[in-house]
Formats: sequence, C-alpha cells, structure tokens
Amino acid sequence: MGHEVTLVWRDGREATIEVANGESVIDATEREGLGVPFGCLYGACGTCTGRLIEGDLVHVERPRGLKPSHRNEGYVLLCVAEPRSDCRVEVGATVQADLVPNPWK
Amino acid sequence: MSTDEPSKTSEHHGHEHHEVEGPGYPTPAAMRTESEREKTAFVMGLRVGMDVDEPDFVGVVDVDPESETYAELIDTIEMPNKGDELHHFGWNSCSSSCHAEGLMRDHLIVPGQRSSRIHVIDASDPRDASIEKVIEPEEVFEHDLSAPHTVHCVPGGKIVISMLGNADGELPGGFLQLDQDDFSIDGHWEVDRGDMEMNYDYWYQPRHGVMLSTEWAAPETYYPGFDLDDVEAGKYGDSIHVWDWETKEHQQTLTFGEEGLIPLEIRMPHNPEETEGYVGAALSSNIIRFWEGDGGHWEWETVIDVEDREHPDWDMPVPGLVTDTLLSLDDQYLFFSNWLHGDVRMYDVSDTGNPRLVDQCWVGGNFGDRQEVAGHEVRGAPQMLQLSRDGRRLYWTTSLFSSWDNQFYPDIGEEGSLMMKADVYPEEGRMELDEDFVVDFGDAPGGPARAHEIRWPGGDCTSDVWQ
Repeated sequence: MGHEVTLVWRDGREATIEVANGESVIDATEREGLGVPFGCLYGACGTCTGRLIEGDLVHVERPRGLKPSHRNEGYVLLCVAEPRSDCRVEVGATVQADLVPNPWK
Repeated sequence: MSTDEPSKTSEHHGHEHHEVEGPGYPTPAAMRTESEREKTAFVMGLRVGMDVDEPDFVGVVDVDPESETYAELIDTIEMPNKGDELHHFGWNSCSSSCHAEGLMRDHLIVPGQRSSRIHVIDASDPRDASIEKVIEPEEVFEHDLSAPHTVHCVPGGKIVISMLGNADGELPGGFLQLDQDDFSIDGHWEVDRGDMEMNYDYWYQPRHGVMLSTEWAAPETYYPGFDLDDVEAGKYGDSIHVWDWETKEHQQTLTFGEEGLIPLEIRMPHNPEETEGYVGAALSSNIIRFWEGDGGHWEWETVIDVEDREHPDWDMPVPGLVTDTLLSLDDQYLFFSNWLHGDVRMYDVSDTGNPRLVDQCWVGGNFGDRQEVAGHEVRGAPQMLQLSRDGRRLYWTTSLFSSWDNQFYPDIGEEGSLMMKADVYPEEGRMELDEDFVVDFGDAPGGPARAHEIRWPGGDCTSDVWQ
C-alpha cells in the first residue's frame, strides 16, 4: 500500500504515480520514467527540489540542501521524501532555481 | 607524432632518458614544441538541473580544421546513470609518469560532482571511447568522502582526487587515492589533515615535495546555489593549504580573508623548479600569488584585482567572479575568466610578481558587448578554459555549475551552453575571438546540455605536472 502523488510541472503537464511505502518520490518517478531532476540522492544538493501543494510528505533524512525558510515555504527534497498521504507536488528544474535568487539583482 | 594517440614511446619526443619509457613529455617545452595540434577535445556535457531526461556525457568535439566535422560534437559517451553532474576530470597518467615504464595516458577518470560516482573511460582511441569501470557512490562513502573534484595522476602508480565533503555532504573533505592498475580505491591520500576542512582544487610540485589545495565550501552549502548569507556565515573558503607531498601531512594554512574569498583553481608553473604559483579567488575576484619563502614558510600577495562593476539593472556592484585560471606551458601567460562580467583576460607573467594585462576578450555575460557569435546566442560567459599545447588557441565553455548557472544565467538551464575559441598570438601578446568556431551544446543529441571542462588527448596545460 502506498499513496498517489500527482506531479505538476509549470508548463501545465501533470502525472499521477503510486509511491510505495518506504519508497522515495524520486525512486518512484525513475521507475515510471518521468524525468524529474535529481543529483546526489541523499538530500544535500537540492537538484530534486519540489514544492508541496497538498498532502503530507515527510523527509526520512535531513534535507540539508534546504534552509529552514525554504522548508517553511513548502519546498521538499524529493530524493529523501516519502508520502504519508496522497499529495500534489510541483516539480521540474525551475523549482530548484527559486530557492536562491541572484544576490546582486 | 599525433598527440591524439596515447603517448608512450619516448623516442618520438626527444626523450633524454632512453632507458625508461613512459607517457607524456620529459619537459613542458617538449610538450609545447614537439606535440602536434590538438585534433579532438573531450568536453563534459551535463544535464543536471535541466528538464532534459538524459544522463550527463563526455562529449567528443572535432577541433581539427582539416576535418569535415570540424567544430562539431561528433560523439557522446553517455553515463550509465542520471544526476552525476560531471564537472572536472583527469588522466590516469600524465607527464609526471614520463619515466615510468608500462604506463599509457589512455584512461579518463570522470567523477560525478553531485553523485560521487567515479567513471573510468578507456580513451585509447579518442574517437571511440567507452566506459570501462564505474565506482559507485556507496564505495566512496565508505571512506567518509563525497563530491569528487580534481583528478591528477601522481608518481608511484596512483591517482589522487580532491573530495569536497564527507559522506553526508558536510565538512570536512579530503583526498581519495585510486590505484592506477585496476582503479580500485586505496583509501585516503592524506595521513594528517591538520586544520584543513574545506577542499576544492590542488596542484603539486614533486621536485619540491609540496602540494597546495584550495577551498570552495561544503557540498551542502554550494550544491543548492550561491547565497551571500552563507558567505557572511563563514561557510565559504578564504584559505589555501600547504602539504608535505612526501609525508602527506598538512603543513601550513595561508588565510586571505576578504582578499581571497572562494579560492578555486590553483596553478603552479609547469617548470618543476618553481616554488610559486597563482590562485584565483572567485568571489573577491583577485589573483593571489603565493611562493615559498625562507625556511620553507609560504607567503602570499594579491597581484591582480578585478574591480566590481555597476550594472544598471542590479542593486549591488557585480564582481567578475574569477572562476578558472590557466598558465601556458611556457609559463609566460596567465589566462582567467570573469564569468559574471563576461570576459577572459590574458596577462604576461614573465615578471611573476607583476602581471601585465595584455589583452581581454569580451563575449556573453552581463557586460559583454557581443552577445552572439556565428548566429548563436551566447548563453553564459567564458568559464572553463583550455589552451592548446603550443599556446596559440584558447578554448572555453560557458557553464559553471548547474544550480549556479540557473541563478545567474538561467538560459543555460533551458537551452544549453557553448564552447568557443580565441586565436592567441603569444609573440604579439594578444588574442582574437574566432567567430567561426562555436559548438552549441544546445544542439546535443538527446537535448540541450551544459558544456564544462575541456581536455586534450595527449595532455594539456591543466593536466600535466613534471617531476
């Protein structure tokens, strides 16, 4: 038994996948061939950043690549995140780019 | 001889020590004058941080003007996994093994900066290379290391890789040693890390028994992107470290403070007699010279200071962000890139303490007048540099690091980056953008890619160290 996670891209595309118990969202997206970006796979690099729109998604390891303010804003690292309910999550490379703006601008 | 072929036979390049053959060249001058023009370039191609569902690759670019596929990406050696962020790479052996029998420069060691996966590529035929071995991240983490960066072969049949983090992507890093025969992990190179916590690039001068290493930050700090709050919190480096190459012990820390924030690439002269060098401090945008003073104590001074520039649309003055530096094989010219401004500079460093700016090439970036070359929009700005062995062609790519690209040049993340070239006239001390040479990694097979570090089969200015 797992949970349904609906992935929402900024171009309007959506896909819903079943994430098994004990499975990270990234592992499930890879199994389904959905091409959600990832890097280190241990919660340090932030490449797999998504934004939780709805539902309960928990980090099973410390998401080092997110600052506390990011976590308060709903950003999640999908390589170390598992759903505890059905969820909707915004995904894609541009979500990560929101985390740290150009400091000189 | 064609230096696109693995170099082994010493007679072909006028070797003085006929009894022992090995890869590379006996002197930097021999490499500069006796090797032929580069015909093939290996260029890192990345998909990390892009909505391109493909792995990173090592690209093969044709740089032979006699060829029908000149200035084209003619092959891609795809990685078996996604998400590696290939960054810097190196050879299994270089000119430091020139007197070592039985070795060839025929394998590329290709680490994934984000994945910590290390690939070994058989490149004995540069135009038909293939992956021979993969060291999985778990094997690296067993040594409490992650985030591999600089790869150098070292004398004694070993390969040493600087590692920026521990197994959790936190501090400290260290150095991973591989065996040159079977590419198995030996363990840590260093025996006493001293007060070194951060790591990045390193260079060694075996004749003087010294190694120097630089500092970026913890992987967990630089991976997600560049944040000035992290600089203020002291999470970015401002020091370099002197090591005893023989005992593998940390000897001294040179702390630069505000003058040397984020000291990245380090270059020592190719002449193995020299006991000095340069490091480019990216955020301070300074070039710092360091040298061995009396009693083996190392000293430093700032010799080049790139002024911040006011951008009409930005709130704060913008540093150049010196991201790569390079010394020509004759040690006469120092080149470096200002990735945020959009130029690459050429200095005459014949008088090592008084670099003289001789030329500058502007293209792309936030201040470059020229934003298009041969019909290709320049996404990014000059970044990773590689100079031909004869010092007459300077090539560069325009991507820095996926998350930092996405902050400063988001177009790269959508459309890929470029490889470009300037013709260099060392006798006249000038360079000129080659408006006919553009390799657009936006057109890479499978989708756009970021182009990063460049290496020549046969060795180059940033691979080879002489004993």
